[in-house]
Amino acid sequence: MFKLNFKIALRNLWKNKVYTAINIGGLSIALAAFIVVLLYVTYETGYDKDVPNYDRIYQVGRNLPDHKTDYTPAPLAKVIQDNFPEVEVTGKMSTTWFEFPIQTEKGRVYSTKALLLDYKVAKMFNIRPEGKLADENDPGLQLYVPKLFFNKLFPNEQVIFPKQVSLGPKKAGQFVKLYGTIERTDEHSNIKFDVVSLSKDISFDNKDYGTNNFKTFIQVKRGANIEALQQKIDQLYKREVIKAGASANDYRIAGRSVIFLDPLKNLHLKPMAGSDTNYKIVFALFGLGILIVIIACINFTNLTIAQATKRAKEVGVRKVLGAYQLNLTYQFLAEIFMQCLLSLALGLIIAEVLLPVFNRLFGIPLSIWHGDQTLFAQLLLILIGVTVISGIYPALVLSAYKPASVLKGNMQTSYKTRWLRNSLLAAQFVIAIIFIAGLLIVNNQLKYMRAEDKGFKSSQVVFIKNIQFYNKAKDFEQARNKMMKIPGVNYVTVASDIPDGSKPGTNTYKLGEQESSIDFIDVDFDYFETLDIKLKSGRFFSRNFMADTAGSATLNESAVARYGVTNPVGKIIRGCDMDYKIVGVVKDFKAQGFEAAVEPTIYSIKNPCNNQKIKIMVNIDQRSMTAALAALKSQWPSINNLDGDDFRYEFLDELYGRLFKKQEQLQSVFFFAAMLTIFIAVLGLFAFSAFTTNNRIKEISIRKILGATDFQMFKMLNTFFIWIVLISNVIGWPLAYILAKNWLETFAYRIDIPLFPFVLAALISTVLTVLTVSIQARKAVKTSPAEALKYE
Amino acid sequence: MIELKNIEKYYANKGVKSYVLRHVTTNIKQGEFVSIMGPSGAGKSSLLNILGMLEEPTYGQYEFMGEDVVSLSERKRVELYRNHIGFVFQAYHLIDEMTVAENIEAPLLYKKVPGSERKSRVADILDRFNMVAKSDLFPNQLSGGQQQLVGIARALVAHPTIILADEPTGNLQSVQALQIMDLFKKLNEEDGITIVQVTHSEVNAVYGNRTLHLLDGVVNEERNKIG
Repeated sequence: MFKLNFKIALRNLWKNKVYTAINIGGLSIALAAFIVVLLYVTYETGYDKDVPNYDRIYQVGRNLPDHKTDYTPAPLAKVIQDNFPEVEVTGKMSTTWFEFPIQTEKGRVYSTKALLLDYKVAKMFNIRPEGKLADENDPGLQLYVPKLFFNKLFPNEQVIFPKQVSLGPKKAGQFVKLYGTIERTDEHSNIKFDVVSLSKDISFDNKDYGTNNFKTFIQVKRGANIEALQQKIDQLYKREVIKAGASANDYRIAGRSVIFLDPLKNLHLKPMAGSDTNYKIVFALFGLGILIVIIACINFTNLTIAQATKRAKEVGVRKVLGAYQLNLTYQFLAEIFMQCLLSLALGLIIAEVLLPVFNRLFGIPLSIWHGDQTLFAQLLLILIGVTVISGIYPALVLSAYKPASVLKGNMQTSYKTRWLRNSLLAAQFVIAIIFIAGLLIVNNQLKYMRAEDKGFKSSQVVFIKNIQFYNKAKDFEQARNKMMKIPGVNYVTVASDIPDGSKPGTNTYKLGEQESSIDFIDVDFDYFETLDIKLKSGRFFSRNFMADTAGSATLNESAVARYGVTNPVGKIIRGCDMDYKIVGVVKDFKAQGFEAAVEPTIYSIKNPCNNQKIKIMVNIDQRSMTAALAALKSQWPSINNLDGDDFRYEFLDELYGRLFKKQEQLQSVFFFAAMLTIFIAVLGLFAFSAFTTNNRIKEISIRKILGATDFQMFKMLNTFFIWIVLISNVIGWPLAYILAKNWLETFAYRIDIPLFPFVLAALISTVLTVLTVSIQARKAVKTSPAEALKYE
Repeated sequence: MIELKNIEKYYANKGVKSYVLRHVTTNIKQGEFVSIMGPSGAGKSSLLNILGMLEEPTYGQYEFMGEDVVSLSERKRVELYRNHIGFVFQAYHLIDEMTVAENIEAPLLYKKVPGSERKSRVADILDRFNMVAKSDLFPNQLSGGQQQLVGIARALVAHPTIILADEPTGNLQSVQALQIMDLFKKLNEEDGITIVQVTHSEVNAVYGNRTLHLLDGVVNEERNKIG
């Protein structure tokens, strides 16, 4: 029985090749998209999953009055370990935030993400270096580098560890011992590094509760009460901070809970100290994937029902031959299952082809094959789900045909399912229209962000990497003068932060009666000139005013607005225990991109609470760019006397452009989604119109005999579908509008929603509809009436 | 084996009843060959559909082999199809995607006849109808008469007690039609299979030993064949 049914199913599919191709093609493309999304979601939610005690590891963070942070004081890890028996292991991690060289006589490499780890944390996260392992209780730092670095540092050399290497520029290097190599191929972890230094205690028994430079991890015992532990650590932390000299009434600790424990499984996607944007993106993509599969299932259902009449006779005959309705339901479900299986196989192939594109876009290493078994379990679930969703309804409809009516010969389609099929078709178009309009709106916002005046000019600014501190203006003078001599160089400056989206430091400043926490950036002369920032009132910093290096400050418009002063120039603003005289106000510029509004910021040359001024920016004439860069490169050792080993630079506009990466990803996702949904909707429409047109062939022939022209026939066949598409547009527009509005509201600087995406979506959907339907209509209209009316 | 008492069938449309069958009362005995005759729209097919339990009468009593079958459960009805009733249609209604042999085998599959017996029964019947050479062809590769032969073979293979035939020769040329009618007669006389056929040809009707004349839903006259 099964074998025969299987054979018949194959013959049926083969007989209706076009429909089968449409059915399977549409579903397989949707499944391919879903497989990619599924891999992505599994990957993103699986960070550190292979860590042995995944469920019992927490990061300790602090809840500050205005934000949350995962930076904690050095001694915290140890006191937690000493006080709470339910905590098994604690340890610290510390990151470096700048690039620095590691060198030997033979070679030099740059580390961009060096990490300091307590032994215990390394163990907790299963990080195991190769080579000589130092004693766990050795208090010194043991450096491990990847093989790639090692081969450059010691080309063709037999090395006995530990071996001395120098950290930092040649002229200011510190010698440390290299203990071996470490290979971390799996970057699927929250703990990422290129080189790592391990130690018994990376803080060297630091007892300071005032600075918070360490991340603290704890691993609790099985069954520990996390909430209670969190409270206990909070109380302990407060006791310790007060013991270290803080006032018990300090608003940062009094009457509020400070410490939180963030489980490891949340750290990648929705850390408490950080944004949950990634989580939202993953969630949205997952939703999108499910939506696409559902559309494809709808399509499948639609097409199968549309073809149901062809199978009606078979149902009738089988019933009088002695088949139960249930037999037939199973038979049809099995047929649909086969098609779904085929679609899934095809989908896997398509996904395999799509993955490299997706991986490049999102910068991740997804693969169907090297993953674990979960994918295949998931695929099995998908297969069953898709079969049930797309198959159950047609199977029930088909198997319910009454033999008496279908065996009479001229069988009419059931009217009952018509509204359902129509609304399913409309739903597909609604979704396609949302994506078309959405894509156009995302495009528009991106275009705006690229073209809009960001308040500074990045196009001819080169950012030079450096780790030499130029905190005082006179330290930088010599380097600047040498650079200024190079033809084409207009301005040179150094600062603690550059407009690449990074967040500068914040501090509390008082102007008049108003006290407020605002951003501060430590700059040098010519900072504003280099970036071509516009002055609003007063003046820029100038070498002509001796006081500028001692106590002058410039505010931006937002800062002026924050303090609510009318004529700020000449007034005094106080912060970091010193008074600044405001000498100028600059126009706001979007140093941190388009999402957040420009922060109130104070710029000063002198700042006792400074961040290090290490970021050099040079404004060069576009025409002399190549020559000037070459000159800078050749003279760099003499210009930058301490960190002059290599001239390393980036163009500021490229750096700034990376801020748009998230939007560009979204744009690509929308592009794919729009193409996919249009494609699937058109497939559905194609088969649907073929079916209705075939059903109306008799009517068309009669009308032709009665004198209708071909054009009238085209019009008649198209009208219904055009109505459906128009209704879909009317439903799709407001939905697209609401979604676009929500998305645009995540930008402080955004476009008004234009009309044309909606018009274009309507136009595209209508034109595609007319084209698709007319292809079918043409066949029907060309059929000779004699042929069509022969059989009754 | 069939007893109809006062069968009524009508469709109500906007309060107006349009009758298809009125007060049909008749008996069909085991081994009879009954022809139902009448002009188009007289209710012949409806009567046959009621006999085949494809339609339910609006009123009336219908007993099949002593069992009341009006509003029979699906399971019981399917059991009857499997074991007692064979259908033959005017339009043959072979399943297009199945070969001749597969079409004939289909009812045995539902009857859960074991594989080897299925094969031999299909082979027997193909042999009997001289269609062995055609067993792997698809219906659209056969002539109308051959298709109807397959249709009858399919009805016979399950060893039914009664065959219900709805204008079995309606789509056939006269020579082929004669062959089919001869076959029916032979099946009736030699195998003792009860046959009920709907026809509007006087020639075909006389093959039976009894004719029910239907006019506007009423059994007009019953005539038994003499001799």
